[in-house]
Amino acid sequence: MSRAQAARSKPGSVSWELARDRLGVPAVLFFVLAGVAPLTVAAGVIPTAYQTTGLTGIPAAFLAIALILALFAVGYVAMTRWITNSGAFYAFVSQGLGRVAGVAAALVALLAYTCLQVGLYGAFGPNAASEAAAHLRVHAPWWAWALGAWAVITVLGLLRVDITGRVLGVLLSAEITVILAETIAGLARPAGGHLSFATLSPAGLTSAGWGTFGVLAVVAVLGFVGFEQAPVLAEEARHPRRTIPVATYLSVAMIAIVYAGAAWAMAAHNGDSQVVAAASQQGPALLFGLGASGWLAQAAQVLFLTSLFAAALAFHNCVWRYMYALGRENVLPAALGRTGGNNIPKAASLTQSATGLAVIVAYAATGQDPMTRLFFWLGTTGGFGIMILLALTAVAVVAFFGRDPRGENPWRRAVAPALAALVLAGIVVLAVANYHTLLGVPVGDPAAWALPGSYAVAAAIGLGWGLVLKARRPQVYAAIGLGAHAVTGQLTPATGQPPR
Amino acid sequence: MARLSGTGRLADDLYLMAHDDRTGKPLLQPRAAGLGLAGALLAELVLAGRIEVEPGGIAIADRNPPQDALAGSVLGLLLREHQHSPREWLVFLARTAASDVAGRLEHSGYLVRTPARTWRSQRWVPVDPDCAFAPMARVQATLRASRPVTAAQASLAGLAVACGLGARLWPYAPPTARRWLQEVLAQLDPGLREVIAQTQAAVDSALLAHRV
Repeated sequence: MSRAQAARSKPGSVSWELARDRLGVPAVLFFVLAGVAPLTVAAGVIPTAYQTTGLTGIPAAFLAIALILALFAVGYVAMTRWITNSGAFYAFVSQGLGRVAGVAAALVALLAYTCLQVGLYGAFGPNAASEAAAHLRVHAPWWAWALGAWAVITVLGLLRVDITGRVLGVLLSAEITVILAETIAGLARPAGGHLSFATLSPAGLTSAGWGTFGVLAVVAVLGFVGFEQAPVLAEEARHPRRTIPVATYLSVAMIAIVYAGAAWAMAAHNGDSQVVAAASQQGPALLFGLGASGWLAQAAQVLFLTSLFAAALAFHNCVWRYMYALGRENVLPAALGRTGGNNIPKAASLTQSATGLAVIVAYAATGQDPMTRLFFWLGTTGGFGIMILLALTAVAVVAFFGRDPRGENPWRRAVAPALAALVLAGIVVLAVANYHTLLGVPVGDPAAWALPGSYAVAAAIGLGWGLVLKARRPQVYAAIGLGAHAVTGQLTPATGQPPR
Repeated sequence: MARLSGTGRLADDLYLMAHDDRTGKPLLQPRAAGLGLAGALLAELVLAGRIEVEPGGIAIADRNPPQDALAGSVLGLLLREHQHSPREWLVFLARTAASDVAGRLEHSGYLVRTPARTWRSQRWVPVDPDCAFAPMARVQATLRASRPVTAAQASLAGLAVACGLGARLWPYAPPTARRWLQEVLAQLDPGLREVIAQTQAAVDSALLAHRV
């Protein structure tokens, strides 16, 4: 053993100490799943999706999207090893397709995550209001509760108080337990006494033509949002080569099983032809009522509220981190990249909060139904944006390795990401063409082109701004995509060893 | 014996800046303060001519131990395991930098240790609040740019901003101070520049990775 190796393996040596502080698969997996907030999807997204789209192929969609995302993840985690700031799609796009495209991707991502965050208030508000009315005899409109949650999240964001790992762990375990319990109870008492597998069948994916798959895919992707966050912890992971891929695939698999199971149980318990009507009547109670136990339903309702709150806080953190990284690169105003006392990024946090406030007030003033119009519409639009980013990132992976294979095998660097890119791009097109089905509005309704169109606007602004930066501020341009490492201007943090 | 002019050591000044001058309470998140102080310890060695910092690693220029014991132990660590990158050294040193530097300040008479209570861990409290505030005042004066600055002064300002003390400095500086500091840092010895940049990057990464 060389002196250097002997030094490395001694306890107390630098490598040993550094490794001790690093995260393993459970910690990364936990971080990903906590951001996914299972009950928010199981009780919020799935029933509302049944109700709004009228489609029953939702369980099958989760399984199909899981396969597509697993395919995407192959190239995604392979590229993670070669870039820093790997928690952000725009970093991948910058390195793969050029920095101008990277700026466009950054703005698309900011819009998508913002939609996802703000939409959650639309579910928290009405559900908190109904719970309070039922149990506390407090009667307040949905927006009062939404604003209350908004205020708490704003303060927590400014104080940099995150829900502690332990609390999140308890909540996460409880949520998954409740969902599984309800799922099993629902499957055990199917409609007509006979368990139907029809909603799991791939035929359901194209029940009303190929467009159906586009719509279902957006709903399903919404459930998986968060799985892409594993690389955020890449620099903190003990064995990044192994930890990040394993955590990513495991999270995709777990999410797929939990959601497909819950959606299937809802359809099986109520009857495949009745589930849409049942969802319109019951909303989130479609999940809570699967078990015969009132106690389970009550526990689920409370956990639903905590899940929504935790998810709103998690996405708030996600959005301001994005703004902070872009501010540090000077792609967005530098003020967003500054911290105040106690390392608190006040400007970024407040900006995200201001956006949330504006949207809640707008919806309250126009009297629209928060569950479908705020939660589901903005939520699925956010999911749609993530899908665009996934497709772009897959193309970026192919381009990145196309220039220099860096020793990755052809499956990882070309075949899998290219296939994923094709499928995802196809889904994006199908979704745009059938957006009215997703929103549950008649063909030609302005929302059906305005919501997806907002991404075109964001991308156009991003492309324009990227070109301006290239021409006028080359130093800033050169650092796009590097995030925290913009200041060192390096592509990878030099480790003194070959890249992992 | 505490003096207004300080110990003359970079990490000591940064520690005093990063803690309240009366109560000793930290003004930064622990990880950020640790990374800043780690950067300061490396900068001390660069200024003393003992090490050269490059993006790929840290090279030893002079093996003779410096006068200060803490700097000497850091140099010893660097000598024993020299294959790590500056970033890894920052993260490693950050784990204990705050308590190490506090111990050094206690030894020099600037801090006094208060015992731990059930609701909080032990804390170091400044002996003389004026002496504790002096480094902050000095850096604020540096930023007003009335005189040419030494490498040490520029490095201290750069490190303070890098680990998040900017919020306490910029309000007291002229509007041109930010750009001025960038220019001054650009003229520094490349090793010092690298230490400051890596410190900034480490603090930002920790923030983005949810560990600050």
